[in-house]
Amino acid sequence: MMTSFKSCLVIFSSLLLFSINFLYAQSESEIENRVRTLANQLRCPTCQSQSVKDSDAGLSLNMKIKIRDLIQKGQSDAEVLDYFVKRYGEWILRSPPKSGFNLLLWIMPGIIMLIATLVLLRSLKQKSRTVDAIGKPSLSKAEDLEISRRFNNVFKNK
Amino acid sequence: MKKSNIYFLLGIGIVLMIFIVFIYGIYFASNPRDIPSSQIGKKAFEIHTVTFDGQPITLRQYLGKPIILNFWASWCATCWKEAHILEAAHQEYTPQGAVFIGIAINDEREASLRFIKKYNKTYILAPDDKTGNISLDYGVTAVPETFLIDKKGVIQNKILGAIHDDIIDQFLSKELKL
Repeated sequence: MMTSFKSCLVIFSSLLLFSINFLYAQSESEIENRVRTLANQLRCPTCQSQSVKDSDAGLSLNMKIKIRDLIQKGQSDAEVLDYFVKRYGEWILRSPPKSGFNLLLWIMPGIIMLIATLVLLRSLKQKSRTVDAIGKPSLSKAEDLEISRRFNNVFKNK
Repeated sequence: MKKSNIYFLLGIGIVLMIFIVFIYGIYFASNPRDIPSSQIGKKAFEIHTVTFDGQPITLRQYLGKPIILNFWASWCATCWKEAHILEAAHQEYTPQGAVFIGIAINDEREASLRFIKKYNKTYILAPDDKTGNISLDYGVTAVPETFLIDKKGVIQNKILGAIHDDIIDQFLSKELKL
């Protein structure tokens, strides 16, 4: 009786330990994923054209530690980004926020590309129309046949 | 010139312009040195640290005095260049009411102490914490970086790179009404 109780206790403790370990590892990997995602959205302050995630500069490493720290304190992704925006300005974000004047930055390239494509298409269409006009036969089929017949007669007579 | 050709050239021009702006944005417009600090005109963040000689310091204790807050590191070559400028300015202006604070960032304590000894730095010198909270609070992008904080605790200017004595003179003359 005592032996089976001890076995049960060992199994229960092992399962409990395993569950705790599993949950801890899962939450750790979740935090790590969030750190990576947020670090990818922030610009390395020391380097050029590099994200905090891809940079090994001292300040970028500090920023990664800070992101983890803020997440562990229960801050949302928006709050973490806001922390850095308050200190570095919007420049620290790799993508400008989609609101206010910045919205124009997001929309304008699309509008400009659309206009440019339309202008290009229109000009190409006009060009092809010009080619058609030149390439169009100005004589009728009967006239064409008549010319061929006359040419043939000229060569035959020679 | 034909109308169709004008449209064609206009289209090519717009596409080329977008391409140039795109390349400029990626490779040339992202230099932190070209971006003005968002902290100028704002209240300076509070500092909580302990100096290399064990004295706890905060900015609050210096309210009413202009502060020269410099971020440095022993491994930074430009910091060697400006070391004597800051020390000389400290010798001249601290007796008149200015405060000079140097925060070492991303540096080994021993290396910082060697640097302090080598350049005979005698003003308030402290390390940043392990996370670099002070430098992050001030939006530091590189060392050396110097913040000029007025008597009300508002950041008036930020200098990226070695500081020149004329900048310190100009700021402190105004603040101390010399």
